[in-house]
Amino acid sequence: MTYVIAQPCIGVKDGTCIDVCPMDCIHGTDKDEMFYIDPDECIDCGACVPACPVDAVFAESEVPPQWHHFTRMNADYFNGKR
Amino acid sequence: MRGSKRRVPRSYRILGPQRQIDERETPHPRVDRGELGEKLRSWRQTNAGGDPFRRIFGAGDGDPNNCLQHIMRQVPEGAVNPNRIAVADPKEMARDIKEVARFLGADVVGIARLDQAYVYSHRARGVAAMGEKPGDPIHLTHGYAICMGFASDYYKFLSNNSRISDADYGLGNNRTIPTTFMLAAYIREMGYPARAHHYGRGEVNPIPLAVNAGLGELGRHGMLIHEEYGSRLHLSVVTTDLPLAVDEPVDIGVEEVCKYCMKCARTCPSHSIPFGGREVYNGVEKYRINVDTCYKYRLASRGQWSNCVICVSSCCYNKPTAWWHTLAVSSIKWTPATLRVLIIKPLLWIDDLFWGKRPWKHMKWLDYDNAPVSVTCNIPGCRANHSNLQHKRLHDPKPVAGIPAG
Repeated sequence: MTYVIAQPCIGVKDGTCIDVCPMDCIHGTDKDEMFYIDPDECIDCGACVPACPVDAVFAESEVPPQWHHFTRMNADYFNGKR
Repeated sequence: MRGSKRRVPRSYRILGPQRQIDERETPHPRVDRGELGEKLRSWRQTNAGGDPFRRIFGAGDGDPNNCLQHIMRQVPEGAVNPNRIAVADPKEMARDIKEVARFLGADVVGIARLDQAYVYSHRARGVAAMGEKPGDPIHLTHGYAICMGFASDYYKFLSNNSRISDADYGLGNNRTIPTTFMLAAYIREMGYPARAHHYGRGEVNPIPLAVNAGLGELGRHGMLIHEEYGSRLHLSVVTTDLPLAVDEPVDIGVEEVCKYCMKCARTCPSHSIPFGGREVYNGVEKYRINVDTCYKYRLASRGQWSNCVICVSSCCYNKPTAWWHTLAVSSIKWTPATLRVLIIKPLLWIDDLFWGKRPWKHMKWLDYDNAPVSVTCNIPGCRANHSNLQHKRLHDPKPVAGIPAG
């Protein structure tokens, strides 16, 4: 299980989730339009969920159907980067 | 109600039948089987690194013959002396056994009946020299549990989390071994069966037994809280059939303090400690922590530490031995439960003022230095503002019906 950042983060990138993430597993460059959660590092604590001001973070099993593709997007973001 | 002792623990309530827990369901065996992920399993096997303290205290890949815990796992228990000493007065014997336990090295000691609910159903590992193997059912029919606590150093724990707090944590674990072994051996030489349950080798869950034995109460963070040492006690148990008078559970105000304090929940980096009320699990109403996230947080150590002790350090009962601490706890203890809130809230304010909302001290010891290291991100181009734990925000409680938001 992991947590997933979805559509509402795009263009917002508030970053409060990064302040509370104990694993520092939320990343993003200036060019990225949103932040991403590394599923290999996430420990499923859920701290980022209430911290997000735009409700963009979901448990993997609770991602709304229209945003299911964000689960793959979050994982793919880290392919070849670690 | 005046008086520090009650017959029933206030910090947990039995509401239904409890099933015995299989030791293989406990965190370390689960991690060893890879149930919390391959990464954590691998970490546990190799986390000792080059640190000699970690290696002698039993972490990861140290040489087992340099580690007391591993050596004692191989040592069979001795025979019971056939010449049994008669016990005329269990009360007097309980006094003597507690004195022996303290003489052998325990900081605190209490005695409870051995409740079978707190005996594991099956063992995760066993003493091969005694014919025991993983998965064997446990039959422990002793009548009494002598519960002992071994205190860690208050100041070293304030270096949390670091190699300094790690070293002291490891020492505390290992201090349980010789005393517990010797006390069990002492009782066997008196002619009564006894078994030692200490760090790395045990058939019982020591926390509820210690609560029942009056060593303290169960805190929001799932650990024992002792009135003098807080939660920095390492527990061990000797079970025996030696006739002993048992102690009663104590009331030191944990029920009310944990309701309002929530300092452990605010500071737990992995958000494993609940802000909400108690839950019923396995027939017991208590605060229920998230064991998985608590354990997985060790992966955040970046090689700097192995054991997170932040909740232990932040607990408001965790103070050095001093008259003002005794006065504060006594004032809670001797105040009727319904009025305790009136003194708890000012005391919590003082606690935050003098010891901080996240107790931590910069410390140097040997060649260790717990100064926060800058966090480097290994994702190319990442612009996220990663920060060291000391600079992270404290958690806000999520509102829960009936529980003050603090």
